[in-house]
Amino acid sequence: MSKNRRHMLAAAGLASLLALPLSSHAQAQNELLVGAMTPVTGAGAPYGGNMLKAMEIAAKEVNDAGGMAGRPLRLISEDTQTQPQAAVLAAKKLIEINKVQAILGTWASGVSLAVVPLTDAANLIQMNVSGAPALSTVDEKDLVWRFQATNDRFGRAFAEIAEKHGFKRPATMAFNNASGRGNTDGFIKAWEGKGGKVLANVVYEPNRPSYRSELQQVLATNPDVIVMGSYLPDTTIILREWFQSGAENAWIIPGWAANPELVEALGKEATEGVIAVDTVSNTDAESYKDLSERYREATGQQLADNVYAAMTYDMVVSLALAAHKAGPDATPQQISDQIRAVSNPEGEKVYSYAQGKQLLDEGKEINYEGASSRWDSDEYGDSDPHYCVHVIKDGKFDRIDTISLDK
Amino acid sequence: MSSIYLINLIINGLIEGMVIALPALALTLVLDISKFPNVTVGDTMSVGAYAALAFQSIGVPYFFLSVGGAMVVCMLISLATYYFVFRKLTRAPMVVNLLASVGLAFMMRSVLQLNVSSQPQTYDFPLVRAWNFSGIRILPTDLWVLLTTIVTLAIVFSIFRYTDLGRRLRAIADNPELARASAIRPKYPIFFLWCLFGALSALGGVLIASKSVLLPEFGWEFIIPAFSAVILGGIGNPVGAVLGAVIMGIASELSVAFVGPSYKITIAFAIMILVLLIRPAGLLGSPEKAR
Amino acid sequence: MDAYLISICIIAGIYALLAIGLNIQYGETGLINFGHVAYFAIGAYASAILAGKGVPVPLAMVLAGLVAALGAIPIGLAALRLKEDYFAIVTLGFAEAVRIFVQQEDWLTNGVQGIASIPPLFDSSTAPGYQNHLFAAVIVSVVICAMVAVALLQRSTFGRILRAIRENEVAVTALGKRTASFKVKVLMFGSFLGGVAGAFYAHFISYISPEQFIALVTFYVWMSIILGGVGSMKGALIGSLALVILLEGSRFIGDFLPGVSDVQMAHLRLGIIGLVLVVFSLYRPQGIFGRLD
Repeated sequence: MSKNRRHMLAAAGLASLLALPLSSHAQAQNELLVGAMTPVTGAGAPYGGNMLKAMEIAAKEVNDAGGMAGRPLRLISEDTQTQPQAAVLAAKKLIEINKVQAILGTWASGVSLAVVPLTDAANLIQMNVSGAPALSTVDEKDLVWRFQATNDRFGRAFAEIAEKHGFKRPATMAFNNASGRGNTDGFIKAWEGKGGKVLANVVYEPNRPSYRSELQQVLATNPDVIVMGSYLPDTTIILREWFQSGAENAWIIPGWAANPELVEALGKEATEGVIAVDTVSNTDAESYKDLSERYREATGQQLADNVYAAMTYDMVVSLALAAHKAGPDATPQQISDQIRAVSNPEGEKVYSYAQGKQLLDEGKEINYEGASSRWDSDEYGDSDPHYCVHVIKDGKFDRIDTISLDK
Repeated sequence: MSSIYLINLIINGLIEGMVIALPALALTLVLDISKFPNVTVGDTMSVGAYAALAFQSIGVPYFFLSVGGAMVVCMLISLATYYFVFRKLTRAPMVVNLLASVGLAFMMRSVLQLNVSSQPQTYDFPLVRAWNFSGIRILPTDLWVLLTTIVTLAIVFSIFRYTDLGRRLRAIADNPELARASAIRPKYPIFFLWCLFGALSALGGVLIASKSVLLPEFGWEFIIPAFSAVILGGIGNPVGAVLGAVIMGIASELSVAFVGPSYKITIAFAIMILVLLIRPAGLLGSPEKAR
Repeated sequence: MDAYLISICIIAGIYALLAIGLNIQYGETGLINFGHVAYFAIGAYASAILAGKGVPVPLAMVLAGLVAALGAIPIGLAALRLKEDYFAIVTLGFAEAVRIFVQQEDWLTNGVQGIASIPPLFDSSTAPGYQNHLFAAVIVSVVICAMVAVALLQRSTFGRILRAIRENEVAVTALGKRTASFKVKVLMFGSFLGGVAGAFYAHFISYISPEQFIALVTFYVWMSIILGGVGSMKGALIGSLALVILLEGSRFIGDFLPGVSDVQMAHLRLGIIGLVLVVFSLYRPQGIFGRLD
C-alpha cells in the first residue's frame, strides 16, 4: 500500500507543481488575456496552425498601436485537437488557471458547442467559425460571436447563385459532419423552397482515399451542377476523380475548399470553370494587402488560401476595438456589448485596428470591415456577410458577382 | 441499377482493396512472426509518402527512384524501431509491444508534423482521363497500382515459400522456442523482416497518397482496414492479406449501391464476421495458429 | 484553479471506470476487447436520450449502463468461436458499427449534429457553485464501489474460474464448466461499467457527437491498464490517473519551453506522449502495479 500512496502523492505533487508557476504568470498591468483555441491537430489541422498565427499577427498589431484603452493584449493558446473532450479540458485550463477573458478561434461545431456552455457560465466572450445552427441559440447572454455565416445561410447563398447562373438540375455532395451536411441541407431547403428538385444528395465519409463510387452515384443522375459541402483534402480527391471520369457538369464549392491550393494541386484544366463562393473580403483595400504580406511572412502561405485565418484575425481586431471603446475597467460582458457598435453599419468604415482606434479616440462611430467579410452580426451574434462569387479561369479566381441575402 | 454501374463499383473496390493490400501484407508478417499488431504501419506509410514527395521535389528524375528512396528510408526506420525497441520486448506480452508501437507511431507522427506543412499536398503528376470502355472506366494509374501490388505480392510470396530465408522466418513464426533450440539464428531473418515491413508500408503509403492527398495524419486511418484485411485473410498468410483486402474493398464499394456510402465500413466488417463464423482462422489461415 | 483539478479528477474517474471494466475482461479473463468505446458510446447516448425525454438523470445513467450491458451479448456470442486476435478485430468492427449507426440514425441520435444541452447530474438549484465538486464526489464513490465489487468477484469462485479461463481454457471445459456463459457475463459486467462511464461523460460534457467515440478512446483505456499493470484493479485506477496526467500535463510543458512556437508545441506534445509510452514499455513493462511473470 505504501507504494500506492507514494505514487498518489507523486501524481498530486506533479499536478500542483505544474500549475504553480502559471498562476504567477497571470495578469500584469491589467492585460486583456485572450484564450486562442484552434485545431492545430486533428481534422482541422490544415487550417488551425495558421488561424493561430493570424491571431498572433492581430495581437501584435493591437499592441503596436498602443493597446486597448491602455491595456495590452496577450494571447494564450491551446490546441483543441478538433475533439470536443480535449477542447473542454483546454478551455477549463484557460478559464480556471490562466483566467482568460475570452476564448477565440474554435473551428469545429462540436468543439464550439462543447466550449460555449463553459464560457457562458463564466461570463466570458466566445468567438468561433463554426457552422452548426444550434450555436445561434445556445448562448443566452449575447457573448458568443460567430464569424462565419451559418451553414444554412451559405446553403441559401448557393441556391441564389445556382439560380442566377441558370442551373436547373443540381445534385449535392456533403462531407459527413455537421458543417458539410449543414451546407448542402441549407441548399436543398432553399432550392426546394423555390420549387426546384435536387437530383441526388450523397454524403461521403471522411478520410477515405477515394470517392469514386460516391461520385458515380451523383453523376448517374446527370446533374448540370454539383453543389459541395466539403473541405480542401476531400475536394481535391473528388475533383480529380471527376476530371478523370470525363464528366462535364459545373461545380459550386465553398471558398475554404476551392482556393489557390486546389488549383496548385490539380492544375488549370481540372479546375477550369469551378465556382468558388466566399464571404466578401475587402481584398482591394491597402490594409488587406498589408495583412496578406504580414501573413505571408509569418506562414509562408497566401491569406487567400485560408479564409478561417482571416476570420480569426478579425476576431482579435474587433474584440480589441470593442475593448478600447468599453474602457480600461470593462468586464467581458461590457466589451461584448460594444462589438456591434464597432462593427455594424453605422459609422465610418475602418479596415485596421490602428485606424479604428484613432477614430474612436476622436469620438467617432466606426464600422470595422473585416479581412474575411464585412463583419456585421445579426441578433444572435452570427455573421451576416455578403457572398462573393468567383470563377476559376485559367487558374485565377475571377470575381464575377456579389450576392446578398438581406431581405 | 445497370450492370455497368455495378462493374464500375467492383473495379473501384478492387483498386481500393489493392492499396490496402500492401500495409496489410506488412502487418500480417509482423503479426505472425513477432506476435503483435504493429500499429506503426500507419505512420510509416505517412513517412514513406512524404519521403517520396521530398525526393520528387528536390528533383529526382523518374518517380520510381523517389519511391525507391522512400522505401529505403522506411526500411531504416523500421529496422531502428526493431533494434532499439521491439528487440528488447521480444519476450514481453503482446500488449506491451502494442503499447510501444503506439508510442513509436506517435513519435513518428510528431516528427512528421513538425517538418511538413499541415496543408494537403499532392505528387507532381499530370492528370489523365480514364479509359472509357462503353461506360466502364479504368484509369491508367490504377493499372500501375494493380501491377505494383501483384508483383510485390509475388516477390514476397516467393521469398517466403521458396527461399531459405523464408523457411527460417516461417519456422520462427510457427514455434519460436523450437526454432531457437534448433539453432536457427534469428538475427538476419528478423532484420530482413523488419526491412520488408518498412518497405511495404512505404510503398503502400505512396500508392495511397498518389490517388488521394498527403496529410500528416492520413496513415493512421488505414490501420483498421489493413488489420481487418489481415484477419479476414488469415494471420501470417501473404496471399490471404491481399485477398482479404480485395474482398473487403469490393464488398464496401458494391454496398454503396444498396445501403449508401456511410454504411460501407459496416458491410465490410459484416462480411468479415460472416467469413470468420465459417472459418474462424480466416480464409487462408491455419487453425492451429492461436497463441 | 481547483475547478480545473476537479475536472481532471472527473475525467480520470471516467477513464477509471472504463479501465476497471476492461481489466475484468482482459486482465482477469484474457479477452482482448478492442471495442470498448462502443459501450462508452451506447451509455452516453442512452443516458442523453433518456434524460432528454424527462427521465431523472441518476435513473437514466443506471439504465444506460444496463443498455450497454445488453449490447455486450452479440460480442459475447462472437467470443465463443474466435481466438484472440480474431475476436479483437470483431470487437473493433462492432465499435465502428456502433459509431456509424449513431452517426446515421438521426431520428434517434440527431446524427452528426450531436445532442446538445444534456442536463447535468446536479443542476444549478442544488448547491450553486459546487455542482462539479458533487459530481466528482459521486463519480469517485462509484469507482470505489466498482473496485469493491470487483474485489469481491475476484475472491469468489466466479473469479477463480475467470482466471482459470485465462490460463487454460481447454482445461476448464474439460472439467465440465461451460466457459461460454462466464465469458458473456464478464463482457456484460465490463460493458455495464463502460456504459455508466459514458453516462457520466455525457452529463459532464453536456454535448455529445459521433466523432467523440472513436477507436482512439479504446486505445487510451488500454494504455491506462497497461500503465497501471494489467490484472490489478489498483493499477487500473492509478493507470487512468497517470494517463490523464500525461495527456493534460504535456499541455503545460509549452509554458516551460520558451523557444518553441505554440503550433510546434502542439505537435511536440504528441511526440512527448509517444516517448513516455516507449520508455515505459522498455523499462517498466509490467506497469506500476503489475508483476513480472
